Amino acid sequence: MSWLTASLRGRLLLAATILIAAALIGTAAVTYVILDHFMHRQIDQQLDSEILALRSTLVTTAAGMEEGRQVDGPPFDRPGWYWQINSGGSVLRSRSLSGHTLDIPAGPPVLVPPPPPPNERASRPLPDLFEGGPPRPGDGPGPDGQSLHFRTKTFALGGQPITITATAPQDAFVRPLRDAMTPVLLALLITAAALVAAMMFQVQLGLKPLQVLRRAVADIRAGRAERLPGGQPLEIAPLTDELNKLIADNAHGLARSRRHVANLAHGLKTPLANLSLALQRHGDSPELQALVGVMDRRIRHHLARARVAALDGPARAQTRLGTRVSDVVAAMMQIHAERGIACEVVAEPDAAVRCEPQDVDEMLGNLVDNAFKWAASQVRISVQCKDASTVIRIEDDGPGLTTEAIANVIRPGQRLDEHAPGYGFGLPIARELAELYGGHLVLERAALGGLSASLTLPRAT
Amino acid sequence: MRVLLVEDDSALARQMADFLRAENFAVDIAANGEDGRHLGLTEAYDVAILDLGLPKMDGAQVLRAWRSAGRTLPVLILTARDGWSEKVDGFKAGADDFLTKPFRIEEVVMRLRALVRRAAGHGDTNIRCGALSYDTQLGLFELDGLPLRLTGLEWRVLSCLALRKEMVVQRADLLERVYEGDAEVDSNSVEVIITRLRRKLGAVRIETVRGLGYRLTADMA
Repeated sequence: MSWLTASLRGRLLLAATILIAAALIGTAAVTYVILDHFMHRQIDQQLDSEILALRSTLVTTAAGMEEGRQVDGPPFDRPGWYWQINSGGSVLRSRSLSGHTLDIPAGPPVLVPPPPPPNERASRPLPDLFEGGPPRPGDGPGPDGQSLHFRTKTFALGGQPITITATAPQDAFVRPLRDAMTPVLLALLITAAALVAAMMFQVQLGLKPLQVLRRAVADIRAGRAERLPGGQPLEIAPLTDELNKLIADNAHGLARSRRHVANLAHGLKTPLANLSLALQRHGDSPELQALVGVMDRRIRHHLARARVAALDGPARAQTRLGTRVSDVVAAMMQIHAERGIACEVVAEPDAAVRCEPQDVDEMLGNLVDNAFKWAASQVRISVQCKDASTVIRIEDDGPGLTTEAIANVIRPGQRLDEHAPGYGFGLPIARELAELYGGHLVLERAALGGLSASLTLPRAT
Repeated sequence: MRVLLVEDDSALARQMADFLRAENFAVDIAANGEDGRHLGLTEAYDVAILDLGLPKMDGAQVLRAWRSAGRTLPVLILTARDGWSEKVDGFKAGADDFLTKPFRIEEVVMRLRALVRRAAGHGDTNIRCGALSYDTQLGLFELDGLPLRLTGLEWRVLSCLALRKEMVVQRADLLERVYEGDAEVDSNSVEVIITRLRRKLGAVRIETVRGLGYRLTADMA
C-alpha cells in the first residue's frame, strides 16, 4: 500500500482503478435494476394472464364455484407456481398446492391508475382487461416456507366478490436474473481489466520522460554529458531548465573556487618572489632564503590542499587520458630538454577516468615530472583499463627509493630532497588527489630499476 | 642579449631588471599583457619572460598571439601558478620553459641563457670560435683559456656574434639586440663597440661585410 501512495505510478493506478471500479459497479447496478424490472414485468404478465384465464373459466353454481379447466398448464403444475380462488368461505386451488391454503398478504390499497394515453393502449392490452386496475402485487411465504410473489385481484361475480390469486416463486426471478447477470458481470470484469491495462500503458507512456530524465541526470553524474538535453515535454521542461541552471551553478562554483585559489597563489607568491629577490640583492643570507623556502612550501602545500578541497562531492567530469598524457609528456620533454630522456608511452586509446581534467594534469604532472627528474635515460608510461578502474604506471630507470623512503614520501608534507623542488611534495599530492577520487597510489621498484608509481583511478565508461 | 620582461608587479619587475642588467642583459619591461603582446610583435628580442596572470590580457593569450604571428622567440613563463594544468597549457601555448615564483635569479639567468643558446641552434653549452670560447651557462668569454673582460655593451655585441658565429649579423639586428627600447642610440655606437672588441680579440676576427653587417669568424683572411 505504501508503494501505491509513494510512487506516482502507484497513485495514478490506484486512482484509475478506484474510478474504473466505481463506474463499472454503477453500470452493473443499473443493469441489475433494469433486468429485475424487466423480469418482474414478464412474470407479472404471466400471472395476470393466469388470473384472467381463471376468471374466464370460473363457473358459479348453487353448490359453489367450479373451475372449468381440468389440468393446469405449465408452469402452474410446478411448486411455487400456484393459484387460489377465494369466494366467501369456499376456496379453489391449483393442484400444485396439494391441498395447502395460501395466506394472501394484505397489500397496499390498490389505487385506480389514470387511464393510459391512447397511443399506449394498443401496446399494453392486458391491464385493460381488468376493471378497476391491474392485480395487486405482494410478497409472502408459501406453504413450504419458500418466498412467493403474489398477484391478487378481486372481481365481482354474480354480485359476490371473488378473489383470484396467482403466485410465482421468487426463484423464478432470481435464477434468470443470475443467469443474465453472470455474463454481464464477466463482460464488465474483462472491460475493467482492459481499462486498467490501458491505464498502465498510459501511465508508462506518461512517465517515460521521467525515466529519460533520470538517465540524462545519471549521464551528467558520470560525466558523459554536461547538461540535460532540450526538447523535453512541456511539463518537464521547467524542471530540466532548473536542473541545468543548478548544474551550471555547481560548475561555476568549482571554477570560481579554483580561480580563488589561483588568485591567492598569485597574491602570496609575487610578494614572496619580491622578498626573495630583495634578499638575494642584500647579501643573500642562506638562513633567510631557507625561510623563504619554508614559506613557499607552506603556501604550495596549502594551496594544493585548497585546490583539492574545492572539489566537493562526486566527480562529474570524465577525462580522456590520451591527449592528457601526451600533453604532459610534451611539457616534460621541454622542461627536461637538456637531459635527453627517452619517454615511451603505451596507452589504450579510449582510456578515460572519472576525474576533473585539472586534477588529472596535477597527478600526471607530479608523477611524470618526478620520473623525468630522477631517470637516467628512460621513462616508461603505460595506461591500462581494468573492470572499474584505470591504472597509469609511470616507471623510470633512476636510483629508485628504499622501502623506508617510500613510506616517507607517502606521508603528507614530507620532503625528501630539499634541492630538487617538487620531490616528495608532488607524490603526496598525487596520492591525496587519487584518494579523493576513490583511487590510490602505489610506489614500488620498477622493472627498469628506478621507481614505479602506479596510479589507480576510477574508470569512466 | 635583449630580454622582454612582461610582469605586472612593478617592484618585482624592477628588481629582476636590475639583476638581469647586471648579467649584461638589455631589458624591456611591459606591465600588462596588451603592451607585452605589442612589444613582442614589433621589437626584436632574444628571449621573453612572461607572467601568466596579467592585467588586460592573459599571459597564455599573449603567447598564442606571438606564436600565431610567427614570432619564434624563446619564452620562459614565470608565474605564481604552479598547477600542472597551467604548466601544460603554457607549453601547449608555445612556451619553452616554465619557472614558478619565488625563484632564484641565478636560475632565471641560467634558463634564459640556455633558451637563447638552444634557439640559436647550439646543442653544446660551450661555443668555440678559434681561440675564443663562450660558456653560455655562466655567460663568460675566454680567449686562449683566459677570461676576457668586457663591458656590458661589448658583451651583448660579442654574445650576439658568437651565437651566430661564421654568419653575417645585420647591423640593424645587432643594434636592436644590444640596446633597450628606450635607449638613446648613436648610429655610430656599434662601430665603436666593434672597434673596441677587435682590439681585445686579437686573432679572432670580426669581419665587416659591406652593406650587410658583421661576422665573427676564426678564418684567417
